Order: sequence, then structure tokens, then C-alpha cells
Amino acid sequence: MSTTPTLLEVEEVGAPTSGPPTSTQRILTRLVHDKAAVLCLAFLLIVVLMAAFAPLITKLSGWGPYEFDSSAVNSALGGVPHGSLGGISGEHWFGVEPQNGRDLFARIVYGARVSITIALSATVLTGILGVVLGMLAGFYRGWVDQLISRVMDFLMAFPALIFMIAILSSLPAGNRPVLLVLVISAFGWPYLARVIRGQTMTLANREFVEAARASGAKDLALVFREILPNLRSSIIVMSTLAVPGYIGTEAGLSFLGVGVTPPTASWGQMISSSVSWYSVDPMFFAIPGAFLFLTVLSLTVLGDKIRSVIDAGEAA
Amino acid sequence: MSEALFVVEDLTVTLPTSRGPVDVVKNVSFTVDRDDTVGIVGESGSGKSMTSLAVLGLLPPGGRTAGSIRLNGEELLGRSEAELRGIRGNAISMVFQDPLSSLNPYYTVGLQIEEGYRAHRGGSRREARKVAIEALERVRIPDPARRIDHYPHQFSGGQRQRIMIAMALCCSPELLIADEPTTALDVTVQAQILTLLAELQAETGTGLIFITHDLAVISSIAQRVLVMCEGDAVEYGTAEQIFSDPQHEYTRALLDAVPRIDDLIEEVAL
Amino acid sequence: MTRYVIGRLGGVVVILLAVCLFTYLIFFKLSPDPAVMICGKTCTPERIDSIRTVLGLNQPLLTQFWEFLQGIFAGRDYGTAHCSAPCLGYSFQTNESVWTMLTARLPVSITVAVGAAVLWLLAGVAGGLISAVKQGTWWDRSAMALALTGVSVPNYVLALVLQYVLVVKLQVLPFPSAPAFADNPGLWFESYLMPWTVLAIGYACLYARLTRANVIDTLAENFVRTARAKGLQRSLILRRHALRPALTPITTIFGMDFAGLLGGALITETVFGLNGIGKLAADSIAKNDQPVIMAVTLLAAFFVVIGNVVVDLVYTALDPRVRVTSA
Repeated sequence: MSTTPTLLEVEEVGAPTSGPPTSTQRILTRLVHDKAAVLCLAFLLIVVLMAAFAPLITKLSGWGPYEFDSSAVNSALGGVPHGSLGGISGEHWFGVEPQNGRDLFARIVYGARVSITIALSATVLTGILGVVLGMLAGFYRGWVDQLISRVMDFLMAFPALIFMIAILSSLPAGNRPVLLVLVISAFGWPYLARVIRGQTMTLANREFVEAARASGAKDLALVFREILPNLRSSIIVMSTLAVPGYIGTEAGLSFLGVGVTPPTASWGQMISSSVSWYSVDPMFFAIPGAFLFLTVLSLTVLGDKIRSVIDAGEAA
Repeated sequence: MSEALFVVEDLTVTLPTSRGPVDVVKNVSFTVDRDDTVGIVGESGSGKSMTSLAVLGLLPPGGRTAGSIRLNGEELLGRSEAELRGIRGNAISMVFQDPLSSLNPYYTVGLQIEEGYRAHRGGSRREARKVAIEALERVRIPDPARRIDHYPHQFSGGQRQRIMIAMALCCSPELLIADEPTTALDVTVQAQILTLLAELQAETGTGLIFITHDLAVISSIAQRVLVMCEGDAVEYGTAEQIFSDPQHEYTRALLDAVPRIDDLIEEVAL
Repeated sequence: MTRYVIGRLGGVVVILLAVCLFTYLIFFKLSPDPAVMICGKTCTPERIDSIRTVLGLNQPLLTQFWEFLQGIFAGRDYGTAHCSAPCLGYSFQTNESVWTMLTARLPVSITVAVGAAVLWLLAGVAGGLISAVKQGTWWDRSAMALALTGVSVPNYVLALVLQYVLVVKLQVLPFPSAPAFADNPGLWFESYLMPWTVLAIGYACLYARLTRANVIDTLAENFVRTARAKGLQRSLILRRHALRPALTPITTIFGMDFAGLLGGALITETVFGLNGIGKLAADSIAKNDQPVIMAVTLLAAFFVVIGNVVVDLVYTALDPRVRVTSA
């Protein structure tokens, strides 16, 4: 499966709401009562806190992500960490990286920062682009729609992964995270826009829009006050399910070596480095792998739950 | 005197909800004879549709029934799924409210009629096709031999409802349940469908249960009327009784709610 | 109908041109001077100049682009050498004809795509269908939990784990080497088994969830209620009334996914060392081999765009409401 966020594969978000939009309040209340959702939220909270307070946390744990601790690795054996489980000890809570002895816990925490910031920013940017352009295309139709749709077709035809790798590898090492967010969003917004466009077209024909127009509302007001609220559930569902995809994309790009530049920590990059140490230090692979897996899993489960609450709300 | 064709006695339907089991139909009783039309009237949520679904054993999962439903003296409640399947579309048929969504858009109308016929009568595809064409003719679909291979979206709303009726009648049922069959149609088409139903009933002698929230419609076709409110059978009697001398206040409220031309004229004149 | 197809094919051409131009521009701007790259270590300014002339690099950008396009359809001349149509240039690294490189590696990518597709369709759709029918049972719940897990594992992680367990530790399978089928069917199968499985697992889990959701939604539709009210057998209702509406959207999605894979499963091929288009892309990007990068990008885009058209046509065949018929 390509690591590009193919929101195509998000189950078709059906017709827009027929009743009042499900309130955020309702979603939250329902989620709190679901054991699985609570577990996922708890784990995600930990990850987010790790990301937010990385410097503080590493100060507490004692080692920063860029510090080398040569005493923790056995240079005679090629850099294998001392002790079992990759060198887990009171000093290094998750052990160390082979060869350079960097504290794995610190790198995981900083890696969380990278993953979360990039995924969230990409989701926000994709959201804005997708919703605005989708609504414009669906509402105004005509040449606006033609133009936007052709651009969407063009972007969706692009082999995004190849292109992302190519662009990222040929550009200088400058502000990587920003670049990653831009590139991921550039290829991600058409999928959201397409769904929004379809739903806007359906909604624009509804009577309440005509009524608002008849009472003199200007186009912009129509779009933002009448149509947008009804798109809310689709936007929520698609965005929630996009986040794990983007985390995976960033990790995949870092795995291939075109993500954030070393020595910045990234879970994907750690997995990539861990391959050659697989047989002697499997923890170096397992720990970032587990974090990546659990984060994506929690987000996906949460996304599912949110979607079923919204669907149930609309069916009621 | 022998029992009527179709008897519902003390029917109670219970559905599981997030708040626990709820009785959506409470101790409802009525009968339908051959060539007879019983109208069930009520607002949304009164339990009228659930009553009909209970007859055919089509309740949502977890739904339970109590009481008695008898066709030709034979009890229907508690029958096995296989037996019920033999009855559905065969001895008792149903027509639903929205003909567009009630027909499968992926298959021709011919196939959808034929499959019902072949499920109960067997026979070859050719025979079933002939039966289907005849059925379409009976409901006055023009050019049935050609249109039998058309898809539901190629028909008008009224025509689609006729097709549903054709489908329901193809195995000559003894009882036809029509759940709000005209609600989704415009008034002129409504009238056509009602006429059609009356004619078909006269031809075949089928009993008809007509469910609606529209009193005006009931008044034109039903001999007896059952008024339901929140699961209770509020009033049951002949159409004349109900309309001229309603006993229950709910019935009276329903009648009062129907806009009448003489009231409007009075208002305007003021 | 023919007008529609011609219109779509026209759109295909436009988009491919746009992709081509865009890629060309980006690499023109971003890549180091190709002449320097080809020249290599022992370079003189004269050599660089002559290479630039041969490649036509001194001309304005759009002229270069135009010659590139011409080359695809009619072949072009590089100095005295003639490159016959479709001419995609020569690799900066190996001087091989790019077209030859592509055609040599395409079968590998196609094999990977087809094998994985068969696996994931069977497992995914069947699994989703059974889950939907047995909704709420332990089978459904465990299958969906499994599917959720499968969707959340990055495929390179899965690839690495599988390779480690099956090849290194248990030594059940050899390191994939992708021989031709005719030469050694046994080895061929063993080589492709892991890439197929790794790719298929991700998609199968996705498709299982999709199919389940679609079938459950379809079973709640009014026309299924009608089918029940007609007294039809449960299996007939499933086979006839539920499957078509539920699976039609999945066909669309499958078409796009498969088209995407034909352009090379970059990560899977790289991890398993299979010489397909994907690996070619990764390698050529790493070495800045411009003509190859261009060609691979074009090829992948070509498959996606054609796939789009095919999917739309298939959809009109499957869904009567969409057909451009004269009723």
C-alpha cells in the first residue's frame, strides 16, 4: 500500500447531513463511554504530550536526542548496546541506539514531535485547501469548477510518492518539516476537495439555500453559513482518517531517507537505521515500530468511532 | 359465522431501544375480509408501519411480538422463517412508500417481478417473463413487452409504484398491505394509484390494508378505519362512523386538522 | 458513446502532457547540470560543451521540451546517434536506452501487482462479505480487529518483519530474486510470495473494511426490504440484491489502486530488492538520473490516467443509472 494518503480509500462519505449537524458535544460524550475509544485517546494524549513537552521531558529523563553516550555501547562488538533489550536501564529508559549511543527514549519523544506536527499541519492545510476549493468548485460550477477539477485530476494522476521523493531529494536540506507538510498537502487536498465538491453541489440545490438566497444573502454568506455547517461531519470524518495516513506518509518518506534530515529524530528514519541491527538489537526496530503502529492504530480506531457516532446521529 | 380472512388480535410489538424494550404497538386488534379495505391512520411513530411489518415477520432484529395474527384461521406468529418466506409475496404481499428506493436500481423491473414469481411458483424464465408482462399490463404500464427490460430510474414515480403493485400482486395474494403507497407521489398521481388499487381489488377480491397519515385518502377507499396513536388502537369502526361521529378525542383532533375548503372560505371572508 | 470515449482520451492526453511538462520543469530547475553528470570524473569544459550540444541543453526550455515530446512519437537524433520512437532518452548513469530499461522491468512490477491484487481481492472482499453477513458475531469482531491492525502497520515494517522471520530466521524462503517464470517456476513463486503477501495484507484489510461497510449499508436499503417482503431466499437476496450495489464502488477503487501499483510499488520493491519500475524509480532518484526519473513518472501517470478512464467505463457498464443510453 502506498504511503500516500489515498483518501479514495476512505469509505465513501455518503450524502451530506439531512438533519442538524451532530454536535461536537455529542461526539465527545459518546466516545467517553466507549472503552476502546478511551484507550486510544489515552495513548494519543501521551504521544501528543510527548510531542508538546519534548524538551522538558528529556530534561527529566536525563539525555537529549542528540547526545552521544559512548559508554552505553560496546565499541569492541561494533557498537552493540550494553545490556539486554538494547540497553534498557535506569539511565536510558528505552535503551540506546547502536553505534552512536543516543538515548532512544529522547529520540522517540522528539520523533513524536516530528510526526505529530507534520501530520497535524498537513491535515489542517489539506483541510483548508480541500474544503475551500471543493466548495468553490461545487458552488460556482462553470469554469471555476472546470479549472479546479482539472487541477485535481492532474494532481491525482501524479505518482505522488515518486514525486515527493524526487522533489525532496533534490532540494537543499533547508526547512524540511515545512517542505514535507507542503508536499504532502499538495497531493492530499484533491481527495478531500472531490468529496466536498460533490456534497456542495447536492447541498447548493437544496431548498434552504434557495430560501437564503431569496432573502438576499450574498454568495459568501450562503457558502459559509448555509452549506459549510452541513459539511461538518464529512470534514470531521475525512480529516480524522487522514491523520494516520499522513503519519504513515511522513514515516515512509523518512524511512526512504527523504524525510526530516538527520540528526533530527523521526520514527520512520529510526526504523530504517534499525534494519542492519535487526539480529543483534531488535529493540531498536521494535520500539519505534511499536510507537508508529500504535499511533496509527489509535487514530484509525478513533476515526472509526467518530464516524459511527456521526452516522448514528444522522440516522436518528 | 366463519372467521374473516385476516384477523389481528391483541397484537403487541416490542422493540429493543437504547432505553430498554419499548412497546411500539400495544394490544391492537382488527380484521380484514375478502374484497375489504381497512385503513390504518396515524401520525409518524404511531406504530402503524410496525404493525404491518409484524404481520410479515419483517421486524428489525430483536423485535418481539405477542398476540395473534391469523390468515384463514392459521396462526402466523411464531412460524419459522422458512414458512414465513413462503407466505411473503405469496399469500400476503406488501407495497412500500418510496418506490424509487424500494426497487433495486441495478436490475430491470422485469427481473424484479419475475424473481418474486419464480420464488413461489417455480417455472422457467420464459414463463415468468410472460407473467411479468401481464402484470405490467394489469397495472396499465404502456408498452409492457418493451418496458419490462427497463430499469427503475427510467420510469416516473407513479409508474414505479404501479410496478411495485404489479410485483406484489403477481402471485395473487389474499391480502395486500400498502404502507403509505401514495405519500411520495403528487396528488394527481395519487388519485390514479388509488383508482388502480380499487380496480385491482374488485378484479381479484384481495383484502387490502391501507396505511397512511392522510385522512382524505382513507375516506375515499377504506370501508373500516383503525386509528392509531403512539402504539395504541385509539378507535376502530366503519369509515362512516369515524368520519361523522368520532368517539375518541384524538380522532377528532385528526379530523379537525384536515384543512377544509369551507373553513378557508370563512377565514378569507372575514 | 464514442464521442464520450474520445473526449475522455483527449483529457488523458492533456493531463499526460501537463504531467510531462510539470516534471520537466521541476527537474530543469532543481537538478544539477546533466552534462556534468554524464561527463563524470575526467571532465573537460570542451567535453561538457559537446555533451550539452548533443543533448540540446543549450536551447530554450520549451524547445527542449518540444524535442522531448517529438522523440516519444517520432524518435529523435542525438548528434549522430538515432533513438527510435518511443524515445525516452538515455540513462545518465548507464547510457542504456530508457525505453529498454522500462520494458525490461515492467514485467516484474506487473507480476507483483497482479499477484497481490488476486490475493487481496479474494481475502479482502470475501472476508468483508462474511463479516457483514455475520455482523456482530465473534468472527466479525475478530476479523475487523485483524483488519484494523493490518491497516495500521506500515508495509515496510511488515516487509522487514516478514523477511526477517521467513528468510533469515526460519529460512523457509530465499531472498527474493525474481527470475522469469519460464526459467524456474518454483523459485519464481517463492520469490514473489513475500512481496505479494506484504502488499496484499495492507489492501486486503482495507478492502475487508470497505466491503463490510458497503454490504451492511446495502442490506439496510429499502430495496433489500422489498426483496425480503417478496419472500426471496436469503442467499438469493445476498447474491443478487446486496452484492452488485455493494461491490460496484469497490470496483472503482480497485481500478485506481491497481493502476497505481502498475507504476511500481516503490517501497515494497525496494525492501525486497525486486527489479521493477518502483525500484528503478527509487534508484534513479537517488542517482539523479533525469531521463529515467522523467520516464518513470510519465509511465506511472499514464497508468493512473488510463485507469481512471477504464474505471469510469466499467462503472457505466455496472450501474444502469449512469449509462448514456437512449431509453
